[in-house]
Amino acid sequence: MDMNAPAEGKYFDGKSARQLPVTVTLETRHNTSVLVIQSDNTSEEIWPLAELREVREQARAEGIVLSLGQDGIARLILLEANAAQIVRDNAPNLGKVVVKKSKWRQLVVWSTGAVASVVVIMFVILPALSNQLATMIPIEREVALGDVSMNQIHRFLGGSDENDLACENPEGLLALQKMTKRMVGTTEIPYDLKVQVFDHEMINAFAVPGGQVVLFEGLLDAARSPEEVAGVLGHEIGHVVNRDPMRLTLRSAGSVGILGMVFGDFAGGFMALALTEKLISAQYAQGAESGADEFAHQLMADANLPSASFAMFFRTLKEEHGGQTGLMSHLASHPNLDGRAAAAVAADVIGEQAYEPVLTPQEWRALRNICK
Amino acid sequence: MSSDFSNDPFARLTQEDTRVATAASPPMDLQYRGEQGPLFWLALKTAILTLITLGFYRFWAKTRIRKYFWSATAPGGDPMEYTGNGLEKLLGFLIAVAFLAIYLGLFQVILSFVGLSIFSGGEGPEAQAMQILFSQATLLAVIPFIFYAQYRARRYILSRTRWRGVRFGVDAAAWGYVWRAIGHSILTIVTLGLLLPRQTFWLEKYRIDRTWYGNTKFVQGGKWTSLYPAMKHYFIAAGLILVPGALVLMSEQYVVLIFVFVGVAWFYYAFAYYAVVSFQILGDQKKLGEKVGFVTAPRAAKVFWTYVLGALLASTCAGLVFSAFSIVASNFMGLTTLDLLSQGEQLFDPENISVGFYIGIGIFVLGYLAMLLSYGVFGMIFVSQPVLEHYVQETQILNPEALDDIQQRSRDEMVEAEGFADALDVGAAI
Repeated sequence: MDMNAPAEGKYFDGKSARQLPVTVTLETRHNTSVLVIQSDNTSEEIWPLAELREVREQARAEGIVLSLGQDGIARLILLEANAAQIVRDNAPNLGKVVVKKSKWRQLVVWSTGAVASVVVIMFVILPALSNQLATMIPIEREVALGDVSMNQIHRFLGGSDENDLACENPEGLLALQKMTKRMVGTTEIPYDLKVQVFDHEMINAFAVPGGQVVLFEGLLDAARSPEEVAGVLGHEIGHVVNRDPMRLTLRSAGSVGILGMVFGDFAGGFMALALTEKLISAQYAQGAESGADEFAHQLMADANLPSASFAMFFRTLKEEHGGQTGLMSHLASHPNLDGRAAAAVAADVIGEQAYEPVLTPQEWRALRNICK
Repeated sequence: MSSDFSNDPFARLTQEDTRVATAASPPMDLQYRGEQGPLFWLALKTAILTLITLGFYRFWAKTRIRKYFWSATAPGGDPMEYTGNGLEKLLGFLIAVAFLAIYLGLFQVILSFVGLSIFSGGEGPEAQAMQILFSQATLLAVIPFIFYAQYRARRYILSRTRWRGVRFGVDAAAWGYVWRAIGHSILTIVTLGLLLPRQTFWLEKYRIDRTWYGNTKFVQGGKWTSLYPAMKHYFIAAGLILVPGALVLMSEQYVVLIFVFVGVAWFYYAFAYYAVVSFQILGDQKKLGEKVGFVTAPRAAKVFWTYVLGALLASTCAGLVFSAFSIVASNFMGLTTLDLLSQGEQLFDPENISVGFYIGIGIFVLGYLAMLLSYGVFGMIFVSQPVLEHYVQETQILNPEALDDIQQRSRDEMVEAEGFADALDVGAAI
């Protein structure tokens, strides 16, 4: 396109759907470079070069689609490659995009709104609501739910109807009963507490909804005194009383839905979702663990037992497993062992004083042999 | 050759055909100009940007892909134009999140609370049925929002669509669509799918009768019973399952069960057949204003095989990408692993895990992401584009000279864009 050879084009005026065949020339009017768009039946349109914007991502490689200004409605399509090239060489602002200030303001307002909404719902409303709702679930439902998950865990650990993992040495059971009674003391517990030992080497213990607590034989073997076991028992009773399994289930049901919405389904979105959900639920669970620890400290103080021996158990555990610190301790659901040991020592009310041991040496031996 | 037209439902109309006898001008063909190469690079570029921005670029990615597909579609040689932009799409998403976070969060918690409260504890079939019912209840609760979001997304997309400089538009009537869609869905489910044509027709009519090009309204004509031919393959598939099934019950000849498997596979074809043929039947009955009409002739077999073979090709390509990454990764990991084994050391002792091992793991993860990403990209060029191309090329516009009288309509601002559809992940495929 130059003065001598006008370029062929199609013009759409943005007022009607009529297609106007036009000829376009590059001229200078009033010291400004302009495109003069001439059709047979309308007066000429004059588009200054500096105002031209290109409509991009066009499937047709040849030619160029132009608008007048960023928000212009009319379109000029130059079909020939060389005309397009001349426009590209001479128009300075083809790709210029100006985002209105009001758009930015809207963006800031709604980003804040969206983030606030997600944070408030996930960290304030959901926890409070699920804590409240957890207490409203009828106890018999909780017991039923606990039975189902106990069956599942039992099967998962390799147990079956023929191979019941629960240990049944009568003297051991008596010792366990005595320990449970001493720990509960006068504390009111709204459940029928059922404490068992599973014949399994894991150094662990767990509680399911409805008042069932299980200690593993591996934990009894690793513990150096009955008071250490009593501390763990207190911790699990804490979970039961705080209804932690119910609260956590309700919370994560809510947060998974929200996170799924935020991340969408791009490649890797699922991983981002899973990792975030893991971090958040670990955050929740860490709170639950600290709560159960505090409950254990209180039970031990009430039972006149030194919670410092609970601290001993954490040290034993650390020697066996190696403690988790740093990032890993955020991902794991249990807070780091040193911190928990320190908290247990700090909560100790017995100190150097004498106390009545939770079990006699014979009973302690019987408990450790409960699976034999 | 006029007998050809009466026998073959997919024959294209020509000027001689009686249905366009009143037309003063020849029908306008739709051209498709997209190519694999440019689309591939555009899709790849935007997919990578989406990945490294943890998904936030997806609003711009979708917008740019749409711009490409729209500009590739050119009725009468004039390209469509998509004028949406990523920023407004992000804004709409944020607005939707601000509202939906509260709703979804509360909803899920309360639902799982109700689920736990009525939990019977038994492991019998009854108890499990209740459990399943409740896991589906969550979905039911979101369904009104899904219909709402779909209608709004269509409204947003068409409000950002232009052809020959004139805007399309859709009336704001999403709630009317929601209750109709729910009612029709229930009716279809209750009648075991027999009233599906009724649902398809009336919902399409609701949408089309509220759609505009410039100052001119579209109208969906015809009647719902005319969609029954599209159901043909559903009936065949059902027959293939029910008849042998009944035979098995009566004669205990288990050999005929093979028909049941064929019948199940047939359902996939029936699904594509219904989508394509009902599109064709409804397309021919659409009008823009008084005069402009349409003829559509997409072929079900073509669409079906494009989906099947395209998906196969795309997953093969994605698989190759993953294999390439895996080979590199196992090179890193393999060397160190062998090294350790020869020294008889414990493999997973953290001190023995070398830098190479971590690099290997990193490359594995990258390979996994690259696989997901390239599946999307290859799907775009092997499935989305060919299917779109087929539909576009098999459509004609009748009486196109009447288009010249159509005037511009005003802009539908729609600040919320298609945010609800993005948040609920129910947006249009493209």
